[in-house]
Amino acid sequence: MTPLVTARDVSLVYPNGYQALYDVSFDVHPGEFLVVIGLSGSGKSTLMRTVNRLLEPTSGTITVDGVDVTHVAGEPLRQHRRNIGMIFQQFNLIKRHSVINNVLYGALGSMSTWQALSGNYSSDQRETAMRCLEIVGIADRAHHRADALSGGQQQRVAIARALMQQPKLLLADEPVASLDPATSHSVMRYLEVLNKEYGTTVVCNLHFLSLVRQYASRVIALKGGRKVFEGMPTDITEDWFKAIYGEDAVEVEIE
Amino acid sequence: MTRTLHVAFASAIDVLLGSYLGTVVWCVVVPAVVLGPAAPPIMMNVWASVLGGVVGLCFSLVGASIGRSALEQRWPSGWQRNAVVHASWLLLVVTIAAGWIITRIDPLQLFSQQGLEGASRIFTALFTPETAIIGQAIGAMVETIYLAFMATVFAVPFSFLLSFFSARNLMRDTAIRRSVYVVVRFITNFSRSIEPLIWAIVFSVWVGIGPFAGMLALVVHTIASLTKQYAEQIEDVDHGPMEAIEATGARRVQVIWFSVVPQCVIPFLSFTIYRWDINVRMATVIGLVGGGGIGNMLIQYQGLAQWNEVGMIVIIIATVVWLMDVISARVREALK
Ligand SMILES: Nc1ncnc2c1ncn2[C@@H]1O[C@H](COP(=O)(O)OP(=O)(O)O)[C@@H](O)[C@H]1O
Ligand SMILES: [Mg+2]
Repeated sequence: MTPLVTARDVSLVYPNGYQALYDVSFDVHPGEFLVVIGLSGSGKSTLMRTVNRLLEPTSGTITVDGVDVTHVAGEPLRQHRRNIGMIFQQFNLIKRHSVINNVLYGALGSMSTWQALSGNYSSDQRETAMRCLEIVGIADRAHHRADALSGGQQQRVAIARALMQQPKLLLADEPVASLDPATSHSVMRYLEVLNKEYGTTVVCNLHFLSLVRQYASRVIALKGGRKVFEGMPTDITEDWFKAIYGEDAVEVEIE
Repeated sequence: MTRTLHVAFASAIDVLLGSYLGTVVWCVVVPAVVLGPAAPPIMMNVWASVLGGVVGLCFSLVGASIGRSALEQRWPSGWQRNAVVHASWLLLVVTIAAGWIITRIDPLQLFSQQGLEGASRIFTALFTPETAIIGQAIGAMVETIYLAFMATVFAVPFSFLLSFFSARNLMRDTAIRRSVYVVVRFITNFSRSIEPLIWAIVFSVWVGIGPFAGMLALVVHTIASLTKQYAEQIEDVDHGPMEAIEATGARRVQVIWFSVVPQCVIPFLSFTIYRWDINVRMATVIGLVGGGGIGNMLIQYQGLAQWNEVGMIVIIIATVVWLMDVISARVREALK
């Protein structure tokens, strides 16, 4: 099976000279649920942003669907981003706008500037947006202001916004790190539904190993910007755990 | 290399301070002390400046350098320390003395027979305002308020557009954006540093004396000020939503419109109302130089020495300014 994403020797140096990634290589296979783990500051967010090219790698290559996107710019870059949905730890919704509008913003990439600025969405797009909200179970809140929703609900709106892009790949950057354990599972379950029932490929940064074991189909680990582990969730033994998180780390459960 | 530059810079400061001191002592302090009130207007004297500069350089060379102490933020040691301390005191005392002489400060004038008579005349008049002109004065005040309002209205669209080009966080990623940022910042900073009063003089020659000239003066100043305030607000936005919209493949204009603008509308509105409030005050002053409205009326009665009328006008201005201040503060509070 040809990989959906191929990253080869990806390095990234931030403008201030800090090197956040060192020669990271990995593949993402269609339909898998790949989880990236590592201490905070190990480069997980940076790595994720090189895949949808919010960041441009300093060296190495990123190929998506056979197309080299490492240095694309302009329209091809937007086309590339359009194919990839992304959700964030802080949800990043437009707080003052309605839930349904937030979902519709997922379609901005495929609209002309004028259509978008005048809020001229087609009835097709509106239906799709409602369907996306139904998938994440909050269609009834469509006309509430986004900031009137709870954290878990906001993250589901963010998932719906990503779905609106009909993405080949969904990137989730610590999607449950600001949520309580019960809500975390409900959000993770929606990601699982998308992955298992709708066949969306997912790459997800996570903190808690218990979540990793439950949801990941494969795991890679970063440490200090380098890939130090690649394998099945069950392969993460005590020794690996200490190698990734440091000698003093103790695993905590999230149930 | 940097060491040499550092020393040269410190010496330059000493030379400048020395020549400043020489000039001020010779051209301001000495004539005033020797000739008293008969001293002629200040005339620069090159030789005094040169001599002062040479003395400054000598101090620098023997290590009693004020420039170096300032740059390194510590005193030299030994007798040079005393020299630097005394020279600094001398600079301060001479500057204050020269200021006193140049401003022609004369406390006796405040309490002279003639002075007190003048004061009682004007205060009596101001506190017995001429109510006959109240209708006319309110009319002129209304003109001023509208003038300030129109200036704000015309300035807002320009400021709105320009603010995005002068927000550092939106303009730092390519060389072209950085240069546009520098140019826009320079133009707005420059026009802001020219007082509206000066703009009013320019426009009263250009379009003739009257409210239109006053409004144009305020427009220029308001564009520059609001652009800066708006831009600072833009620099403060949460970047998360920007990143999220960018990740959908949206164009730049869309990203800004859907992620930056929603975070800014309320603060922008608040700044704009406050600007209108400030503009009413400025419009009053601008009227004095031919910008129309209540200021214009004030300067006319002042020219005729009709102090009761002036008193009426001052009361109206003070009331309106105070009211606008209270109301705009309330509205801005409600917008939070
Ligand atoms: N814009 C930036 N400029 C410079 N350094 C950055 C920037 N963003 C992140 N970093 C640094 O890069 C490293 C990796 O950050 P990140 O990818 O956010 O890690 P993680 O998501 O694993 O916590 C950190 O040390 C962080 O301080
Ligand atoms: Mg992170």
